[in-house]
Amino acid sequence: MAEDTWKDYKENKRFKPSPLKGLRVLEVCTLVFGPLGPAILGQLGAEVIKCEIPPLGDVTRSLIPIWKEQSPGLIHLNPNKYWIGLDLHKPEAQEVFRELAAKADIIEDNLRPGIMESWNVGYRQIKEINPSIIFISKNGFGQWGQYAEENRPSNDGAAQAFSGYAWMSSFPGQPPLKNRLFICDDYGALMGEVAVLSALHYRERTGKGQFIELSQSENIMRTMSWVWPYQQVTGKGAMPAGNRDVSICPADTFRSKDDIFVALAAPAPEEFKGLCTAMGKPELAENPRFKEHLTRLKDENATEILKIIADWVRTKTSQELEALAEEYGFAASHVYNARDIVQDEHFRERGFMTDIDDPIYGEYLDHEFPVMMSRTPPKRKWTARPVGFDNEFVARNILGKSDDDIKKLYECGALGKWFDMVGRRPPPDWDGKAGLIMKR
Amino acid sequence: MAEKEKSDWVEWVKEQDDPRIAHTRPEALDDITILDLSNKSFAGCYCSSLLAEFGAEVVRIEPPEGDFIRTCTPFGILHEGEGLNYLTEGRNKFHISLNLEKAEAREILKGLAAQADVLIETYRPGVMDEWGVGYEQLKEINPRLIFASITPFGQFGPRSQSKQPDYDNIIQARSDIQYDTGEVMPEGKTYDDYPWAIPTKAGPWIGWCQSGTFMAVGILSALHWRRMTGEGQALDMATTEAYTAFDDYAHLWHQLDGHINERCGSLDPALWLYCFAPTKDGGVFLGGLRLEMWQAFADMLGKWDDWGAGEWTSMVPFGVMEEQLKWGPLIFAETRKYTNDELVTMSIEYSKTGRLAPITPVVAPICSPEETMKDTNWLDRGIFTPIVDPVYGEVIAAQTQHKMTETPIRTKWVCRPVGYDNEHIFLKYTGFGPSKLKAMKEQEII
Repeated sequence: MAEDTWKDYKENKRFKPSPLKGLRVLEVCTLVFGPLGPAILGQLGAEVIKCEIPPLGDVTRSLIPIWKEQSPGLIHLNPNKYWIGLDLHKPEAQEVFRELAAKADIIEDNLRPGIMESWNVGYRQIKEINPSIIFISKNGFGQWGQYAEENRPSNDGAAQAFSGYAWMSSFPGQPPLKNRLFICDDYGALMGEVAVLSALHYRERTGKGQFIELSQSENIMRTMSWVWPYQQVTGKGAMPAGNRDVSICPADTFRSKDDIFVALAAPAPEEFKGLCTAMGKPELAENPRFKEHLTRLKDENATEILKIIADWVRTKTSQELEALAEEYGFAASHVYNARDIVQDEHFRERGFMTDIDDPIYGEYLDHEFPVMMSRTPPKRKWTARPVGFDNEFVARNILGKSDDDIKKLYECGALGKWFDMVGRRPPPDWDGKAGLIMKR
Repeated sequence: MAEKEKSDWVEWVKEQDDPRIAHTRPEALDDITILDLSNKSFAGCYCSSLLAEFGAEVVRIEPPEGDFIRTCTPFGILHEGEGLNYLTEGRNKFHISLNLEKAEAREILKGLAAQADVLIETYRPGVMDEWGVGYEQLKEINPRLIFASITPFGQFGPRSQSKQPDYDNIIQARSDIQYDTGEVMPEGKTYDDYPWAIPTKAGPWIGWCQSGTFMAVGILSALHWRRMTGEGQALDMATTEAYTAFDDYAHLWHQLDGHINERCGSLDPALWLYCFAPTKDGGVFLGGLRLEMWQAFADMLGKWDDWGAGEWTSMVPFGVMEEQLKWGPLIFAETRKYTNDELVTMSIEYSKTGRLAPITPVVAPICSPEETMKDTNWLDRGIFTPIVDPVYGEVIAAQTQHKMTETPIRTKWVCRPVGYDNEHIFLKYTGFGPSKLKAMKEQEII
């Protein structure tokens, strides 16, 4: 039974193998859309080598550097990686990258089109030395098309704007609203790994690698499901509806008696009946305007039933509403904030909020990869490092370089370490040793 | 020289991965069979759709009356009898019916599971066990099976036995992301004055879609492990965890000093330049997280000297909210002088001729989905190419978001009615012919 399968999962997961053991990933990525993809593979057990241009590295290092002089964004987005500072403008660094690429399975970048190729480490150049390489490039507009060819830069916010996602995520009559999350980056990175792992499956069947390109905007459009056929079928533009879900009724966010925002949903027949009974109005479930879901969804009916529910919710506290939802089998939840997530007992018990004990950045809680796997649990283990922190380890362990070779690479500027600046250097309390692998 | 190499690269890659030639290439997952038992869950349907796009044979199993999710459609609108959400994510899947309340149907399910690689289900924890088709039971029949469960709270933990169903707006509410997205309530105003200045969820079913996509990654990883070892396994995902898992820094920030992110409209809680700005004819997104990009933005507007851009040395001071609230009105006064098109053109021109070229700020028009669907850039890249479906006719659904040189994804059909493939699938997997199917129908098994 399910309890047997998952017994002591949290306690035992650190003693079990990871599913992508044995795969090696190289990344030349910055900010969110890029680095999050390899981070996913790293949590699934792949060995990830993150190449940054020294001495500044990933731009995320500049963003709210408050956690021991480091950005919590960089910490969250980059678990389980080895960090090298490799100045790919330099031919010697390009050669180091090619040596690594010859021994890698997957390469990820998020630069504008053609830049990797101009550094002699593009897909066509790497496949000459490693024909089975899987190479993914992620950026605003993909590799071709008008916007890519105009060489436009992009950010997550641009994708929220271009795709219509922000437009659809606001209240009617109000300006489009930017989502606080970097959703197009985050979601896009996840979609990228669906392609990478499918390509890996194909490679294991045939030996063939391939090139994959991904655009920030195109990914998020996929999640806007009904919007596109709606516009085609009705000839009208799709409009935003605030917190109301126009495809599910009732589903909206309401304000409770104790002024807490509570989301509620009860569309399926037994759920809607349960809600009406909980409201003390069981007759509503039989009302011809509300009985069938498709009828209830019609704008005039949905508006009416949502008003009835809103008035009722104002008479109950959020705790009462959540208890009624359990009792009557509909869904209700107060809107969680950061504290609710961090303190949630269920997340802790499952190990979703997992304890990190990092040699450099200390102890804290972070999200575990959200797919739990009974035989091969994903694991978040360590976190961000200063620029070039693992240079010696990677150069010696993977490439077999001697101290002399490494010294030369530093002298010509191919290898580099951090600039003495917030976000780049080690934290102020670093003892000069903790976390170093090759030599302390 | 760099220019020449780049254009050669662009031509080469387009020739290799243009969706127009996708049908001539092999499919990555066409050796995999997946059973999808999703029930009232778009997360499950979305997960199996993604895998079907890569070529997996997905057998979608519904109760004879069809999955309730088919009725979840905007304003109750149907196209050829189908809800518009389901219409877009039935793609490439075969649809059969099985009444799992009946013991005979559960025996048939076991027979299918014995032949499958992956099973996706979204029932409340314990339901599959009670039916005798839980993971522990099916692994006896097929130890290689990957058994993927998607539920609101997961298979274990204090709330796993919750009776609450799983809907997208609830996932969003439990994520912290709805809490700190939305307009700020102006001082002295109330919810009655500004009913939209509240925690605001995303319009699309992102909670469901992200959950389904995470599970697709989990399934593909489990397939990799199985190729190495022969071992199947059970996968457990709580949708509530899947959407909040990407919350970039809010939860760490809270642990640092108790900080709770609050709403800040279309600014960012801590980043600059990173906001929506009003224009003469709408609005644009502005991005310049690197110092040089923020300087380029000031320069592009002719404000280099006025704003003292040459003196700026770090982005860190600009991120704090007080500074953003000071700079916001200054830049909005400038952006209001131009149209969206003018600002976009200015940024492209700046990348060629500006003082800091090729560095230029990000300027993107805020589009309605109607504008997005007409944008020739996306049309050219095949996102909105109509799919001519054998049952539903011409349908526009967003597609080809992955462009791949060897195994490109493709949409072969968009959807199928309930039980449309009973004949084909039962014949293929169980050898059941028309008379057996007729009997099963009479016994209300299918």
